[in-house]
Amino acid sequence: MTNNNLFSVDQLTIKFGGLTAVDRVSFRVEPGSIFSIIGPNGAGKTTIFNCINGLYKPDAGSIIFKGEDIVGQKPHRIARKGIARTFQNIELFSRMTTMENLMLGRHIHMKTNVWTGATFFRRGSKAAQDEIKHRERVEKIIDLLDLQSARNQFVGGLPYGTQKLIELGRALALEPELLLLDEPSAGMNSEEKQDLVFWIKDIQDELGLTILLIEHDMKMVMDISDLILVINFGKPITEGKPEEVQRHPEVLKAYLGEDEVIDQSA
Amino acid sequence: MDMKRDYYEDIQLLNSKILWFWFIMLIASLATLPFLLPNYHIYMVNYMAINVIVTVGLNILVGYTGQISLGHAGFFAIGAYGTVLLMTNLHFPFLLALVCSALIAAFFGFILGLPALRLEGPYLAIATLGFGMAITQVIGRWQVFGGRMGLEAPDLSLGPFVIDTDRQLYFVIVTIAFLLILAARNMMKTRVGRAFIAIRDSDIAAETMGVNLTLYKTLAFAVSAFYAGVAGGLMAFLLGFINPSSFNFILSIYFLAFVIVGGLGSIFGSIMGAVVMTWLLLTLDKVQELPYLGAVLVSFSERWMNLAGLPNIASIIFGLIIILLVVFEPLGLYGFWIRTKIYWKTWPF
Amino acid sequence: MFLQLVVSGLSFGSLYALIALAMVIIYKTSEVPNFGQGEMAMISTFVAFTLLVTHGYSFAVSFIGAFIFAAALGVFLEFVFLRRAKDPNILSLILITLGFQMVLYGLASWKWGADQKDFPFPVSDFDVINIGSAVISYLNIATLLITLFLMFMLFLFFRYTKVGIAMKATQQNAMAARINGIRTNRIMSITWALSSMIGAVAGMLLAPIATLDPNLMLEPLLKGFAAAVLGGMTTLVGAALGGYILGVIENLFGGYISLEFKSIVAFLIIVLVLCFKPSGLFAKHYVRKV
Repeated sequence: MTNNNLFSVDQLTIKFGGLTAVDRVSFRVEPGSIFSIIGPNGAGKTTIFNCINGLYKPDAGSIIFKGEDIVGQKPHRIARKGIARTFQNIELFSRMTTMENLMLGRHIHMKTNVWTGATFFRRGSKAAQDEIKHRERVEKIIDLLDLQSARNQFVGGLPYGTQKLIELGRALALEPELLLLDEPSAGMNSEEKQDLVFWIKDIQDELGLTILLIEHDMKMVMDISDLILVINFGKPITEGKPEEVQRHPEVLKAYLGEDEVIDQSA
Repeated sequence: MDMKRDYYEDIQLLNSKILWFWFIMLIASLATLPFLLPNYHIYMVNYMAINVIVTVGLNILVGYTGQISLGHAGFFAIGAYGTVLLMTNLHFPFLLALVCSALIAAFFGFILGLPALRLEGPYLAIATLGFGMAITQVIGRWQVFGGRMGLEAPDLSLGPFVIDTDRQLYFVIVTIAFLLILAARNMMKTRVGRAFIAIRDSDIAAETMGVNLTLYKTLAFAVSAFYAGVAGGLMAFLLGFINPSSFNFILSIYFLAFVIVGGLGSIFGSIMGAVVMTWLLLTLDKVQELPYLGAVLVSFSERWMNLAGLPNIASIIFGLIIILLVVFEPLGLYGFWIRTKIYWKTWPF
Repeated sequence: MFLQLVVSGLSFGSLYALIALAMVIIYKTSEVPNFGQGEMAMISTFVAFTLLVTHGYSFAVSFIGAFIFAAALGVFLEFVFLRRAKDPNILSLILITLGFQMVLYGLASWKWGADQKDFPFPVSDFDVINIGSAVISYLNIATLLITLFLMFMLFLFFRYTKVGIAMKATQQNAMAARINGIRTNRIMSITWALSSMIGAVAGMLLAPIATLDPNLMLEPLLKGFAAAVLGGMTTLVGAALGGYILGVIENLFGGYISLEFKSIVAFLIIVLVLCFKPSGLFAKHYVRKV
């Protein structure tokens, strides 16, 4: 199905000084699927995300999203096109409440500017209407992720797992077509991880999202991924379905411990 | 309490009857205040209100957006000179002149904000410091601006009303201050304000969520400069006379001190900070007249220092306040207020 | 005309270079632009003035007294205030140095009043020699020579003395320096003392040309920053070169374009450099990692 190409990366390369952090990485993500990138620490996974986001400018290669090359565009433009992400180390707005964090996710869909924002004095004002409308949307996300108890709390003081969820919620509030999740389960306990798997699947089903995932938890990756790309030292090692990747000798050597594999097949 | 079914409550200014009551009381007391106070105190309140405007504006930049400006005296000067010149030379009516010169200040703020995009804290501080000094220089040397001699503020009238006493000026200044405070509060509750705060807390995340950093950083500068411009325009009429030395680098630091004392990122704090510090500033101007302390300081000055230099004690005290607050109470008066509130809520436990 | 402008530009530039050096030494260790730098120099100059004029000591005694004062002041400010900051982010550090600036400015104005004073100096500003078509005063020559000598001494200091090397180590990586047994806190104090003394030299060389009052260093402070930004806030050599370049550019601007707006050159240079080459002309650029 070549005609519904949502997102693909072709020959992506980026160098920092003498180090080639990402070396000719290519992949294609089917709409509505979960595509995972795995690899040891420092393999260049987050760097790929940063390129997709526009935080880094790659030295070569192209990133095609909905038929358009987005390389070289500013991050906020790329966000507007429908790509949202979460971060490995939480990047929440710590002195805002959960609600406000999620409302920031609605930024690109809202219309209030300095003037209308400063001068609303009634319920009927444009800015007030804008706020009310988008708060309804955000409330749905709060319900979906069970964040009611954190709704009006400053996120800086919330538990780590909750913060991770809020970040996910904020990304969802942007209504992306492509969602980048950078180690969403890092720092969670096993119970929270189970919930997370459930939520990711739920989101994918309900909202029809395409998800690009970086994750270290192998059980989770193997559970939910449709396709997996393995990279090491910035180079792609192999790509395939979970069961294929698990058996790939290079992968076993470079990345997975023997025990892990046995666990998976058990 | 968490069962909010109406989202308007989240952003509403007054969401209960009690608040409405206090709000009306506040307006009533502001309206009757000038009839109860002696003249000098009205002057002082006017001074406070003007500083409140600058401080709220500067807090939008420093406290909410996390930028820094050591050049706000420059915007203040643009507002003051702009208003006076537009009125005397082009015969603009007062309010139009005020808005126009504040917009000019905002434009300069926007321009100054452009390098801010690529600059981190220390560099931005230096650039804005340079801006403030450059403005004072230009004004001091250019004849259009009256050079070192300065300019006199023209007669002020609003429609049919002639405004020539501090008491009349009070209504103009306080009304404008009141509206600008409400505007700032509204702005911070809605989309633009959230984008500012987001930039402060994590510019990377804000960017990836679709906030245009270029636009919003320069916008914060422009909005902040607009406030300073309005305040400057009003100051020209309060003082009746402006010259370049009223807008020096020290003034920029005073403004920053107001923000710090009030508390970063709090509009209520800005009001408290500006009011308290303006009171302190005007009191220290005449420090030798204070009971007991004044006499002690005078004899100390005569013995060790220099009596003519005594009013400069304000600068020393402001400096110490800045340092001590930053070291011990970074949240300023607002933080103090919050803690007192919590303390009384749980009292006596 | 051109030569004249360049020569006197170099002389002023060397003062800017000194101030820039003083700032960069602190910036490299504390990562804070010291907005109190100018006032620290100003008040040290006043101390020299008081010893000299009010108490009638010799030049040597007065100047040495002023240096000791400057060093003590630097140590005092670093130890008493800067080190106490609980969560030292950039904004609070900048604010603390601004606080110094105000305290010192207020103290000087209180003690010495705002009236202008003439600062005596062993070298005359009125005796001149001719170099080609340019005229240069003994004081200008002295300024140039003293500055160059100081820079040379600084170079030797950072290259060959134990303290100098420890200082460099602290600047590059405070944590590693500490692990290797360098007392970084003490190094910080020494840095501030050193910087304050260099500033004092600038103040004492400037005072005989200008007149001594509490506003002495307000503008030179900005010039010093401009020089430091021009050269790059992280390199000593760059800052010194930046000072000379700024002095010359400013003078040429004053001579050929507009004397009135000479003093906004510094600001324009700051903005232009920051827009086009934020790391300065002579420093490497570091990209912040995400």
